[in-house]
Amino acid sequence: MNSINYDACPECDLLLRPALPEIGEKAHCPRCGFLLSKPRKQSVERTFALSIAGFILFFPANLLPMVGITIMGNVNTGILLSGVIALFNDGMVAVAIVVFLASIFFPLVYLTLSMLISGHLYFNQPNRYLIGWMRWMHHLDEWVMLEVYMLGIIVACVKLMALAPLKFGGGLFAFIALIIITTMLTGGLDTRLFWQRIEKLSKKNSYEN
Amino acid sequence: MKTKPNALAQGFIRCHDCGCLVKTADHTQSCPRCDSHLHARRPHSLQRTTALLFSSFFLYIPANIFPIMNVNQFGAGESHTIAGGIIELFNSGMIPIGLLVLVASILVPSLKLIGIGLLLLCVHFRWQINARKWTVMYRVITFVGRWSMLDIFMISILVDLVNFGAVQIIAGPAATAFAAVVILTMFAAENFDPRLLWDYQQYL
Ligand SMILES: [Zn+2]
Ligand SMILES: [Zn+2]
Repeated sequence: MNSINYDACPECDLLLRPALPEIGEKAHCPRCGFLLSKPRKQSVERTFALSIAGFILFFPANLLPMVGITIMGNVNTGILLSGVIALFNDGMVAVAIVVFLASIFFPLVYLTLSMLISGHLYFNQPNRYLIGWMRWMHHLDEWVMLEVYMLGIIVACVKLMALAPLKFGGGLFAFIALIIITTMLTGGLDTRLFWQRIEKLSKKNSYEN
Repeated sequence: MKTKPNALAQGFIRCHDCGCLVKTADHTQSCPRCDSHLHARRPHSLQRTTALLFSSFFLYIPANIFPIMNVNQFGAGESHTIAGGIIELFNSGMIPIGLLVLVASILVPSLKLIGIGLLLLCVHFRWQINARKWTVMYRVITFVGRWSMLDIFMISILVDLVNFGAVQIIAGPAATAFAAVVILTMFAAENFDPRLLWDYQQYL
């Protein structure tokens, strides 16, 4: 039914013939330079594997201690959630909520959604929620701020090193691995292909019913 | 007269969420593929972006004046503003990290406010500009915005770790204002539709 054989650039609205670059190539908008598509080899399989790995890593990254500090014999260790709680106890409720969403909740939702979507595509399982999940993932992308948080850890550690000895825990290493995984995940996600596959699946589903 | 190469001028609307094209002549309200609401351009793009920009501008003032954190050492309190924290990093010889924080929490937010303001003025007054360059500016603004949250995350870690009774770091009121600035400017950039820059350019 969708027989329109055209494409439009999302940032300058140039009407285009659909660019079909080879795997490994990139298609840019000729007018504004927007990156239109960047197909990856086995995008579905890759996304599925990476989101499972990310989902598993999410738990040690959140539960194991990240950084410990010793002042006058007292040891304080921090995890992602304890920073949120500390802000909350200081009465900075709004900031605590923002930190919680950007560093814990949205990354978890994002990983779950990409795992669900790529899993359904991988096993060719139609699901009426696929479209909604895909839209949510599209909107969440910008609000997953793990890399920014990592930079925050680095700056905080530099500041604290002058004050007291620091100890890095397993949580930090799991967190770094999680960032690498999510970066690879978002970089290799071929949204165009995903939408095409979802459309195909929902058509197949409506045939059967 | 030559018709413009814009999809809208040729009778197509691009879905915001899934990117598929829909004929304007079909008069459908929602995308046939993903069911999201169809808009040729982001709805009320200029009004929304302006409102968000003004709110973030007004919050940017308290974010820089008030202390972003208080360091209490043995009863003596000391407040740090955003700029104060950077100066302290420079004074203790941590130049690269100081520069990083300077870029993330001062240069990026202020240049972002100016940049979005310019984009709005450009569309409002229909300036004839090199739309490609301005689109690149828009792209840079949307890309760098989230990195300003660095300061907020850093504070959440400091507040959590430095909490020993005698030595304590407490978040200050500027933290709320600054977090709001970052989020509002992110929303402002998201609501701005770069295609508006191209719509009225005469040389196209
Ligand atoms: Zn373009
Ligand atoms: Zn759509």
